[in-house]
Amino acid sequence: MHEFSLAGEVIKLAEYEAEKNKARAVSEITIELGNFSGVEAEPFGSALSLLSEGTILENARLYIIRTTGKGICHACEREFEMEQRFDTCPWCKSYPSEIKGGSEFRVVSLVVEEE
Amino acid sequence: MCESCGCGKPDEYIIHDPNHTHNHGSDYNHEHDHTPPHKHDHPHEHDHPHKKVIDLNIDILSQNNITAGMNRRFFEGRKVLCLNMVSSPGSGKTTVLEKTISHLIPSKKIFVIEGDQQTLLDANRIEKAGAPALQINTGQGCHLDARMIESALKKLDPDANSILFIENVGNLVCPAMFDLGEYRRILVASVTEGIDKPLKYPNMFETSHLCLINKSDLLPHVDFTTDEFMKNAQLINPHLEFIELSAKTGEGMNLFFEWILNQADLFPGQGEI
Repeated sequence: MHEFSLAGEVIKLAEYEAEKNKARAVSEITIELGNFSGVEAEPFGSALSLLSEGTILENARLYIIRTTGKGICHACEREFEMEQRFDTCPWCKSYPSEIKGGSEFRVVSLVVEEE
Repeated sequence: MCESCGCGKPDEYIIHDPNHTHNHGSDYNHEHDHTPPHKHDHPHEHDHPHKKVIDLNIDILSQNNITAGMNRRFFEGRKVLCLNMVSSPGSGKTTVLEKTISHLIPSKKIFVIEGDQQTLLDANRIEKAGAPALQINTGQGCHLDARMIESALKKLDPDANSILFIENVGNLVCPAMFDLGEYRRILVASVTEGIDKPLKYPNMFETSHLCLINKSDLLPHVDFTTDEFMKNAQLINPHLEFIELSAKTGEGMNLFFEWILNQADLFPGQGEI
């Protein structure tokens, strides 16, 4: 559900940047989405395509770069890819690990058409 | 972000599509290659788009976070202890608040911002308990955001040295992402919910400071083990504090009142200067 208000934030951000750059349209938008960000890619994409009608993002193609958080094991201090928050260390099977990254939710870039 | 020189400005560059067709609106015909620089021997206007990549790397919640930061400065400047209460619907947030207000109001000034999708029911209950309340109806929205709080603060105008409770929309998912500028986030859970709630909704447990386990009077009737629940929550957030209480019978409420007054002392805006 919050995907809608987040999509609204993205549109505001794109409109602000487009105006600043005197762009008439945005043709591509790239978003980075971490697996612990609390945002699901699919509902977010649907929300954005619904809300972008009539806005600068109307015909923009959405690219989502998914990123995965890393765990640093408290016991053996080794680093590993974390699919789930409760993943145990694949080396020594300890839990918990310090989570690094995975909470990314940002607009990486826009491709705009200039006037 | 520009990584070439570290100036912090976004990199900007133009993509010139070599396959574009020219339509110059004139009878001139010419061919030219597209390796720059090229020269035209006639005036013309392009109507093909020039594309430009704007590198941003901007956090999508950045606007909310900036506003939350401003709210936080406001609270510190005015010495208002702001507590954001979150929970799933029906955990008893409003009842906890009513009891808390009645207890604290002789010694503390209390203000409340109520968030619900619809109705003024909660604000009316809070006003009856004795605290000025402002209701925000989010309509279809599932959470409060920092801008809503910013506008609400202008109307509510909480006194210096007061406590401001924000009762967020009953929802364990969305409000977790939105910083409102609060000093502490209080999660109200209840024994009628499952012990696996923390595992199912980790973001909310991760971002909270205190977890109230409400409706403890119902413990004999439900399948809820407080220890198991706390263990699950601590898997997500080892720093989370817990208070088991019943807003209905009053059992354990004193611990919560003490916790609040303790926060008031810790809060950078309050206490001795």
